[in-house]
Amino acid sequence: VSAEQESRAAGTAGGTEPGRRSFLRGTLGAGLAGAAVGAAGGIAAGYRLHGSGSGTAGAGAAAPGAMQEGRLRPVPFHGRHQAGILPRPQKQTVVVSFDVTAQGRGQLEELLRTLTGRARFLTTGGVPPPAGISAPPPDSGVLGPVVVPDGLTVTAGVGASLFDERFGLAARRPAGLAAMGVFPNDQLDPAQCGGDLIVQLSAGSTDTVLHALRDIARHTRGGMQVRWRIDGFVSPPRPAGTPRNLMGFMDGIANPPTTSAAQMDDLVWITPAMSGGQPWAVGGSYLVVRLIRMLVEFWDRVSVTEQENLIGRRRASGAPLDGDSEFSVPDYAADPQGLVIPLTAHIRLANPRTRKSASSRILRRAYNYDRGVDAVGDLDMGLIFTCFQADIARQFEAVQKRLVDEPLTDYIFPFGGGYFLALPGVTDSSDYYGRAMLA
Amino acid sequence: VAAPRAAARRILASLSGAAVLAATVTACSSAPSAAPVAPAASSGGQTVVTISGGVCGRGWAHPHTGLQTFQLHNTSSGVAEVYLINPLEGSIDPDSASAPVFAEVEDIGPGTTAPMQVNVGSGAYAFDCDVQHYGTTIGPIVRIPGAAHGTPGVLSVTFNDLIGSPGNPLAPASQYLAYVASGVTQLVRQTAVLAADVHAGDLSAARRAWLTAHLTYERLGAAYGTFGHFDTEIDGRADGLAGGVRSPHFTGFYRVEYGLWHGQPQAAVAGPADQLRHDAVELHAALPHLQLILSDLGLRTHEILENALQFQLTGHDDYGSGTTLATTAANIAGTVELLKVLHPLLVTRDRVLPQTYFWLDRLQRLVMAARHPNGAWTPAGQLGTSRREQIDAAAGQALELLASVATIFEAEKQL
Repeated sequence: VSAEQESRAAGTAGGTEPGRRSFLRGTLGAGLAGAAVGAAGGIAAGYRLHGSGSGTAGAGAAAPGAMQEGRLRPVPFHGRHQAGILPRPQKQTVVVSFDVTAQGRGQLEELLRTLTGRARFLTTGGVPPPAGISAPPPDSGVLGPVVVPDGLTVTAGVGASLFDERFGLAARRPAGLAAMGVFPNDQLDPAQCGGDLIVQLSAGSTDTVLHALRDIARHTRGGMQVRWRIDGFVSPPRPAGTPRNLMGFMDGIANPPTTSAAQMDDLVWITPAMSGGQPWAVGGSYLVVRLIRMLVEFWDRVSVTEQENLIGRRRASGAPLDGDSEFSVPDYAADPQGLVIPLTAHIRLANPRTRKSASSRILRRAYNYDRGVDAVGDLDMGLIFTCFQADIARQFEAVQKRLVDEPLTDYIFPFGGGYFLALPGVTDSSDYYGRAMLA
Repeated sequence: VAAPRAAARRILASLSGAAVLAATVTACSSAPSAAPVAPAASSGGQTVVTISGGVCGRGWAHPHTGLQTFQLHNTSSGVAEVYLINPLEGSIDPDSASAPVFAEVEDIGPGTTAPMQVNVGSGAYAFDCDVQHYGTTIGPIVRIPGAAHGTPGVLSVTFNDLIGSPGNPLAPASQYLAYVASGVTQLVRQTAVLAADVHAGDLSAARRAWLTAHLTYERLGAAYGTFGHFDTEIDGRADGLAGGVRSPHFTGFYRVEYGLWHGQPQAAVAGPADQLRHDAVELHAALPHLQLILSDLGLRTHEILENALQFQLTGHDDYGSGTTLATTAANIAGTVELLKVLHPLLVTRDRVLPQTYFWLDRLQRLVMAARHPNGAWTPAGQLGTSRREQIDAAAGQALELLASVATIFEAEKQL
């Protein structure tokens, strides 16, 4: 089993809590002829509502294969780690950086509690409690009268700027969390870099993530303001295998296996040893976001041979140039002069697959973006590169330094993003994002 | 447009009878809060409630607390409005008749069914049906024991709440009319100064006079609906005009601003300045004949700032002076004035009123910080990121809170 296949299996299993699944199966089984009916016609019947002040929580379910578009089953919100980190990328995502406008520690806590409450409700689904006649409707209605979770995950993180003097958190900043610097091939726009908080919303369809974004923004207007935002998507397999990016190449084939707890502890999670004396960060993960423009018109004017030499893989199959299939493992030792896979090929620089480079592997989660045209009428599209790791310097920055001045940089340029720390998971209904950080 | 809310009077007329005529239904106790509550809307056990002339709320046979949906079936031949009210609270004074309302559904056509979603708590409930051609009927009183919290009930605002007894200077409508009249009188004086400065060829004095007069007008935000075509003439923007700022139909403050801050010669500004002064005089003369739409008071309380966010904070309405933050400050002052006159009605109805005041105050302080000691203003586009975000956050939060004011007054829209 290849790394990526393992990763996919984990992605599928990662969102599944056996108890919940069987509970829902039981619910749907009564009176409904199988999962397909549950997905298609039994949306209301698939929801069990829990009467509580914080809204009514429910959950729809069916076998993944029978899922109707826009109705993926819920991903459990509570856990030691945030739920959106390990699963394979979902079809739609919104990455939003916020600056905190709340004043002082108390208001910051209130903001994080509110953000947690909205994330809990949106990922669980249910009926927004009616407001009566003293307020406008509590929900935008974009997802209909019953908010469907549609596989929504909310991943929240903090940037280094949150640890300035405003909230008295300077002593709580983990040493590994700094502002993103400038790399030699960058063309960074400060307005699209950094931010006090990062929120990534991912789900099965566009309306689901936009609904969540509107809901969160509405409930936190006074406490934070959008600094920058970008929407992304993952293409369907064409024709099979790993989805392609907008350069036409399969993107994210090689990833460490998310099923391996040991490797995740080494490469993804902040463990006590990696917490830099900040125990509150344990269970979190460093998140790097890079907004990368692709000059697709230029790229389309390049021969496929050159494209493949720049990447190191066959465009059609995704196979490394020395292999037969997408999941063939390149054998660089057998090609020390780069006669088959050039020494400067992207995959070879990014992951040389040596003993030394093993600890710099990252959990790569890339999304395509598309947002209009630039000043010369070229299409503004590219990649939202995100990756999770235990140590930005040891992992992302090590990879990035190997990639400096790679030939591919003629066709791409990073213009935004930032370094963040994806917070430890929210463990239960009384917990909230960053509780330990503020304690 | 504004007429006494007959329905409100009828509510109480029949309320007194309801307690006698209607059977009181007592609910079984609600499910323990820890257990999942299957909502009526998704369990198939929806409560269908019948509305017709003389019948209101028939069918609520098994009352229980929790989130539920009533299907309101109108079997009459007229349009129906249905309220779920607390029949045991509220005033019985016929001039201010009202009861706490938990939910309302308007415009239910004959023969149709409309959903009413409500989180029912412990307490007393009754449907209040206002059926066209028939009048108002109060359904049976339903009592649900226990201590469960539900959707809060809010007293609807009546015509009499706003208008008070005739000539009462303390009623919100009277107070607001006095505020508007005073502002328009100032406007006449200040636009005359502006025109005189332009004619005298003192364009820097004219620029100062322009700002003073414009802010006076912008403080009257709530009155736009009342001013009708005068508002377009006095404060219309170039959007929607063929030719934009060069259109002959582009008049008023923004036209004068465009001239004063784009190096136009005195002769090119004098005409628009005279026209503005003339329109202000016309408005003043027409004021006694213009009708104040009462529902505007609630609606405008949030719309003034919505417009400020859309046109001023964005810089859209900057025709050269860079004073859209000053305009925003004037708009906030207009909003605060409205809240002041509506305060007695809001204080018992709007649960977020204290926060509303807090955020408006914070917003006003943040915006006023853009005013320099010499009277100049930082253009909205030149605010640094942090100040920009602070202002946007305060404006956004204030607007979320002000939305409640419009909703509370919405009943008056039907007058």
